[in-house]
Amino acid sequence: MTTTSQTPAPGAVPSASRWEPWRVSLSGVRLVAELELRQRVRSTKWKWALASVAVLIGGVTFLVWGATHALGSDSSGAPGDLVFGLVVFFVLFLGLVVSPTLSATSINGDVRDGTMAPLQATALSAADIVLGKLLASWAASLAFLVVALPFIVIAYFDGRMPALAMLTVMAVLALELLVVCAIGLGWSALTARTPASAVLTYTTVAVLVAVLPILFGLLSVTFTEEVEVTYSSREYIYYEGDYFEEPDPDDLPADAQQDAGGSYFVCRDYTYTENRPRTDRLWWLLAVNPYVIVADSAPSPATLDDNYYYGDEGILSGLKQAVREARVGPTASYDECDYELTYEEEQRRARIDALPPVWPWGLAAQALLAAGGVALGVRRLSVPYGKLPTGSRVA
Amino acid sequence: MSDVTTMAAALEAASVRRAFGSVQAVVNASLSVQPGSVTALIGPNGCGKTTLMLMLAGLLRPDGGEVRVGGISPGASPKAARTAVGWMPDVLGTWESLTCRETLATFARAYGLTPADADARAFSLLERVHLADLAEQPARVLSRGQKQRLSLARALVNDPPVLILDEPASGLDPRSRVELRDLVRQLGVEGKAVLVSSHVLAELDEMVDDAVFMSKGVTLGEAADAEVARARTRWRLVAVEGDLAGALARASRDFTVEQVPLGSAAVVSVADDADAAALVAVLVGDGIKVARIAPVGSALEQAYLTMETERR
Repeated sequence: MTTTSQTPAPGAVPSASRWEPWRVSLSGVRLVAELELRQRVRSTKWKWALASVAVLIGGVTFLVWGATHALGSDSSGAPGDLVFGLVVFFVLFLGLVVSPTLSATSINGDVRDGTMAPLQATALSAADIVLGKLLASWAASLAFLVVALPFIVIAYFDGRMPALAMLTVMAVLALELLVVCAIGLGWSALTARTPASAVLTYTTVAVLVAVLPILFGLLSVTFTEEVEVTYSSREYIYYEGDYFEEPDPDDLPADAQQDAGGSYFVCRDYTYTENRPRTDRLWWLLAVNPYVIVADSAPSPATLDDNYYYGDEGILSGLKQAVREARVGPTASYDECDYELTYEEEQRRARIDALPPVWPWGLAAQALLAAGGVALGVRRLSVPYGKLPTGSRVA
Repeated sequence: MSDVTTMAAALEAASVRRAFGSVQAVVNASLSVQPGSVTALIGPNGCGKTTLMLMLAGLLRPDGGEVRVGGISPGASPKAARTAVGWMPDVLGTWESLTCRETLATFARAYGLTPADADARAFSLLERVHLADLAEQPARVLSRGQKQRLSLARALVNDPPVLILDEPASGLDPRSRVELRDLVRQLGVEGKAVLVSSHVLAELDEMVDDAVFMSKGVTLGEAADAEVARARTRWRLVAVEGDLAGALARASRDFTVEQVPLGSAAVVSVADDADAAALVAVLVGDGIKVARIAPVGSALEQAYLTMETERR
């Protein structure tokens, strides 16, 4: 046609109607969530899915418990949060795998099946539909979390984690699942085909979980900075001649010390210029990682040994320490001489302990992603359609 | 419902257009449907009927032109316009695992009815579309025709003053078609403004008061109306014996002779039933043994086919 089609100016839409799709009604959200759940409960073999998840988590919990107790029966006794951490991470892993399947096709799938347009034609707003769908997929993924709960409790009693860790871990796991559901919803709004949105949702999760940490590793190796590093090393004093002869105390250097076995040694500092990764500039790449967020949010168990720099061993605390270590940046001194903490190390530990936690930032960044997903969904479902997404039809 | 809707057209479109990318689906469409009347929207596949209906149902924004549903513009107040319309899409989407009753009750609640009212509404609508027996059956067991009826019930769930039915008769068996026709007529009698599209033009003939023809995204106005009016005057006459052509010529009628195996036949221009009776009397008086006289098929179909050939 030769008719010149004038697209209406954006200002042509009255402002009152522009916000109408964003108006949320509690009853509308509830209705859509109810509808979604009712369909899901009836159409999928969810009982079997939940049962197999329970078997899987139960099996892994048992194996982790057995393995850690077989290996960790040394002097340190209880293996910290090892079992708890591993079980929590496995539950998170399963959640990250399951949640995308619950939401990543919820909008484009309904459009494909022709069930979306009749719903959009009702009095429900786009926000009602999107939030209802989000709520439903979240509720479904929470069901998996509830199945995992007993095993997390069992694992909890194996370690020395503070009781608060249980609550925060469960809450943060639940929030992580909500974020993944919202991301899936966003992709299902953005793409017309369901396989595409599923792949993109998994890709997004993979970026958060694996790609960013890999990027962190690569970037920290690539972009290093020259730093003066002081190594303090222990040098034992030996005598030419008879090795077993006691050294003459008068010949010893003034700063000589005696170790527990009675051997004499001196501490000598050597300074080198080395290329060190600037992890303090890259740590935020790790902050949005779901595993880091879960680990960082869990309160650490009380440190057993004040002289041990890394505090308690374990999965959650270990990861938390590692990320905080990365935030402080390269160390300028290594003390391999004194087994006690040096002044620098004490300073560094104090700095690390004083750092604000990472997880609120990570969770905030993820919340932005989730909000973006919801916003995309609302925009996608707002009627009357101005521009239609490519490759899709109204009904 | 209100006085406003009985005075103004319940459904109005003026010079509406809409493009999808480079494809101009609707170029210039205008129509108006009065409360209590049934209007057919007729045109070949891909002429823009569905796109026009989506704009009227408040799901698609026109690139230009004006749409009004019960006096409300979907652009200015989308929700109010949407809820004034009952829309039956041409694509059948059903929630497979929900029962018919649940499906309708869910939609009723989506329009703001309380759960109790929604259930009552669902039940009465299922009765109305003869699906009460299947109320507790999941939608996946329904046949295509039954789904179509469920879809129609869904369009009625908010008791809207305006109904937009996109191909409601497709996939229906003959009995269901008759029921659909009766239902649509009844909805018109109830005061609703109904716009219905269909390919089964003979079916439409008996249920519509008015017709809008559409071709290549343009609604054909008076030319099409004249064509329908002309088609309505075409009656077929079959005689067993006698010089039919001669008699018709003597009666000074417009006619065209048709070749039939036995006797003779012609298509004659007849104004109405009384005119037909008068013509038969004249012919019988002239010694013609008239066997049959009746309108030539569907007027809408004829008009449609005539316009199709004219365009080629």
